[in-house]
Amino acid sequence: MGNSSAFWLGLAVAVAVLAALPALFGLYAAEVGAVFLAYALLGMSLAFIWGYCGILSFGQVAFFGVAGYAFGIIAINATTLTGLTLALLASIAVSTAFAAALGYFMFYGGVRDVYVTILTLVVALVLYTFMGQTAGGEWSVGDARLGGFNGMSGVPDLAVGIGSTGVEIGLLGHYYVTLGALVVTYLGLRALVNSQFGYAMIATREDEDRTAMFGYDTTFIKLVVFTIGGAIAGLGGVLFTTQNNYVDPSVFGITAAALPVVWASVGGRTSLIGTVGAALAIQFVDYRLALSGSEWALVVIGSLLVFVVLVMPEGIAPRLHEYVLESREDADSSPVPPDPPAAAEEVSD
Amino acid sequence: MTGAGLLNFGFEFVEIFAFIVLATVGLAVIFGMMGIINLAHGEFILVGAYATTFTFAAGLPLPLAMLTGVVLTAVYGLVLERLIVRHLYGRLLDSMVVTWGISLVMIQLTRIVFGNTAPGIGIPFGQLPIVDGPVYYLVLAAVAVGVLGGLYALFMWTEFGIRARATMQDEATARSMGVDTDRMYMSTFAVGSGLAGLAGALYAPVMTVTPEYGTGFLVEAFVAVVVGGASVLVGTVLASGLLGTVNAAVTNVAGTFMGQVAMLIAAIVAIRLMPDGITGVLADWRENRGESQ
Amino acid sequence: MSERSLTRRSVLAAGSTAALAATAGCVGEGAVLGMGDGSPNPTAAVLEDRSGTFALTGTAKYRTTKLAIEEINRDGGILGEELEVFAPDPQSDNMRYQDLARHAIYQEDADVLWAGYSSATREAIRPLINDHEQLYFYTTQYEGGVCDKTVFPLGATARQQLGAVVPHMIEEYGDEIYTVAADYNFGQRSGEWVKIIAEEHGAEVVGEEYIPLEESQFGSTINNIQAAEPDFVMSMLVGQDHSAFYEQRLASGLTDVPIGTSTNMAQEREHLRIDPPALEDVYAGVNYMEELPTDRNEAFVERYHERWDDAEYINQEAQNNYFSVYLYKEAVERAGTFDQAAVIEALESGLEVEAPEGDVTLDPATHHMNHNMRIAHADENHEISFDEPRTIEPVFLQEVGCDLTERAEQTQYEPDALPEVA
Repeated sequence: MGNSSAFWLGLAVAVAVLAALPALFGLYAAEVGAVFLAYALLGMSLAFIWGYCGILSFGQVAFFGVAGYAFGIIAINATTLTGLTLALLASIAVSTAFAAALGYFMFYGGVRDVYVTILTLVVALVLYTFMGQTAGGEWSVGDARLGGFNGMSGVPDLAVGIGSTGVEIGLLGHYYVTLGALVVTYLGLRALVNSQFGYAMIATREDEDRTAMFGYDTTFIKLVVFTIGGAIAGLGGVLFTTQNNYVDPSVFGITAAALPVVWASVGGRTSLIGTVGAALAIQFVDYRLALSGSEWALVVIGSLLVFVVLVMPEGIAPRLHEYVLESREDADSSPVPPDPPAAAEEVSD
Repeated sequence: MTGAGLLNFGFEFVEIFAFIVLATVGLAVIFGMMGIINLAHGEFILVGAYATTFTFAAGLPLPLAMLTGVVLTAVYGLVLERLIVRHLYGRLLDSMVVTWGISLVMIQLTRIVFGNTAPGIGIPFGQLPIVDGPVYYLVLAAVAVGVLGGLYALFMWTEFGIRARATMQDEATARSMGVDTDRMYMSTFAVGSGLAGLAGALYAPVMTVTPEYGTGFLVEAFVAVVVGGASVLVGTVLASGLLGTVNAAVTNVAGTFMGQVAMLIAAIVAIRLMPDGITGVLADWRENRGESQ
Repeated sequence: MSERSLTRRSVLAAGSTAALAATAGCVGEGAVLGMGDGSPNPTAAVLEDRSGTFALTGTAKYRTTKLAIEEINRDGGILGEELEVFAPDPQSDNMRYQDLARHAIYQEDADVLWAGYSSATREAIRPLINDHEQLYFYTTQYEGGVCDKTVFPLGATARQQLGAVVPHMIEEYGDEIYTVAADYNFGQRSGEWVKIIAEEHGAEVVGEEYIPLEESQFGSTINNIQAAEPDFVMSMLVGQDHSAFYEQRLASGLTDVPIGTSTNMAQEREHLRIDPPALEDVYAGVNYMEELPTDRNEAFVERYHERWDDAEYINQEAQNNYFSVYLYKEAVERAGTFDQAAVIEALESGLEVEAPEGDVTLDPATHHMNHNMRIAHADENHEISFDEPRTIEPVFLQEVGCDLTERAEQTQYEPDALPEVA
């Protein structure tokens, strides 16, 4: 989306609006909105690894869900402030480690392209199938029952602290924590993709063999990228689970696995902002359609997906960016050379 | 293992093997030819099932109803190919995403138009002694083998098949030699769709027909395709055999759930060990043998 | 260059965020703009699946609830006011249930909530219910054990249903049982209950299988049952995919083994959907089936089919939905207000209602119904006959000491909470 002052102003306004939502629309908006923001984190994790490194993973939900369950397991057993803080850190660590392990398994094993996609999807499905049969009493970790298809309920709210000093994050706080996490992660990723490492990522996406020939350890790059993606998805998962105080195997299901792909495809996988926007918009529309009792939600979403990929395969945000660039070209006196595709992604978000 | 136990295991294997083969061939044909993973595969199967169910309920004898299912699905696939899919050749990941979108739309439209259930079809033929399973499962296995045989005949002995294999091996060369690749893709997609419809039709008496019917096949199908690799026949047979064995064995011991999990894990391991599928391994092996000679 | 603008702009963004966060102090339930406090009329939120896995049962539940509310409104409403209905379709999706329940509570100000078919749904929204102390009627038959101040599980529990049918089967057929159940909480706990009840009657469970909800291939299960040669099978299969079991049972010739069930026939009318004699000698422990030959019930069935002429079947929990609306009406009238806490107190004062299944009373301490349990039997033509009803109280919760009139809790007890258990 560029680095112009217009962009940053727009971003500031958007964040401000999001921050003001609870003030404008009440706790209800905070509760509902926090879920969408957690989804946005999930979407962003995919945009990062897919748009910038070419790894199409249908399995981001695996990390999302694993972190959620991990938090639930630890938090239900250790409800003190220290325990909950530990739960937060540990669950993100678990999803990160899981991503690292899976990434190692895949990339160092030579698995590429569509096989990565299928493999990540299968991983999510294994989790779905496996967690779905954890219903009995024997499937509990301490006090935490995995619950099978009933899901794990009674997951405590977020809290951070040690001993008796700390803060419990209530409903409203949770919204701002999620929003904050989203903004900070976005800025962090943005900095990352504009760094040397970011260029290496993009080069790997463009032509892995050539990049490897230049001396870059592309396998390692992919591993790092995938791991970071897992960490972000995990963060989203924890925030999601603590919002609903509940998680069930449906987070690993086929539909759930495909949603991040929908958001990234529609919003533009090379655009972190675009994916976030698409995630928020699509889930919001889905929500409103569900409320109105309409059965057309999935038809609309599916058709939108087909339309966007056929007509603007790069996604909505990059297409908009192009228009903006073109119109600025006309207004600008200094000639901007026509962007070769790779260069256009350099200053990107 | 007792004689009866062995027979039971054998029967279970045959049942699962037939299921995986029939679920997979349609997808494998399309993947083998165009390198596309059609995530709407489950919904082609759905079309076959619904067409069969409703024509049967309208009075057609079951085999004819099934045939209708196959034909309708092939036609449907053709239409979809012309309208949407053909814009996506060469765009592998995009095609996955688009076909996924199509699948969402189809499931929901089916639900809106037809509601949540469809009239049932009883399992024909009755049951077998000893294994006490439906005879129909053996029929399904026979059909699976028949389909594989038919595809073999098609690919090896017909002109169409020769042209198809040429296009699969090297599209550019094939085109330069006069093969109308556009036509080839179109017909292949129709064949793949028809095969998917066949799976839907055949299993309609066995599985409850609902809008989500197709998702019951999807996992086995694309896992088998990926484990099998680019070759339609060899890949499908070997992958189905491998996955079917794992599934049947574990199910026998630990129940259907664990059987499914074990099969998926086996798939993960297989993909890791053989990134180009079983056919990739075979191709390498053949190459190495050729080199050493 | 980009580094500097990054820092500067992000500080700006952060600053404006912080400024607005400071206004968060003004945030309340309705807040500045607010999004409506719902209508001034009392509102009932009815969240029942009309699509997805549980559409078959959810649709009937929705319709009987609607029927009851319409009848009540026609007769002058409750406390002179008409009850409004908020009823979107949750599509058998638990995450959706959470969204809709949240909306019902916040935006619609629901005075009472009916929601969910499966136990999974109930557990998914119970945190929300608990947070907001929302009055919630859960009307599906379930595994039992929920002891929760604002929740009224009015369906028959596994203990009640199995407690009716298992002893009967043991007496009639023998003491070796094979259990086949849906593999999730409900099925698992029901399986535990079968074992407990079997022990109480000197019988034994010789085999158990738990089947995933989407599984519709029962070949190996049927093989296993035939190998085990039990005297009868206990089936707690759930959902549309599991109905295939009966067709496959017929095809494999397993119809000579009788089946006791707490879930089949009364929920998804397998005896009407599947050709005879697939359901031959299936015995269901139920508090209600549409076929009940009492005058009151026949009148109810007629009213229902008149109202919904494309309606298919009134399942067990749809009836629970129906009488629970009348129960609610009585409670509100006794309390004199729609205020949820007061209504809950009224519900705990010992209420009786004339349900199609017969007269039923609500046990104050456990919030469960003392149901009229019967055993329904399907013969080879799928004709249903019933035995004499017997009242079974919610014994389990009484045994573990759940008394919501004394002590408010929000728990679910499991069979292993029983004092002495095998």
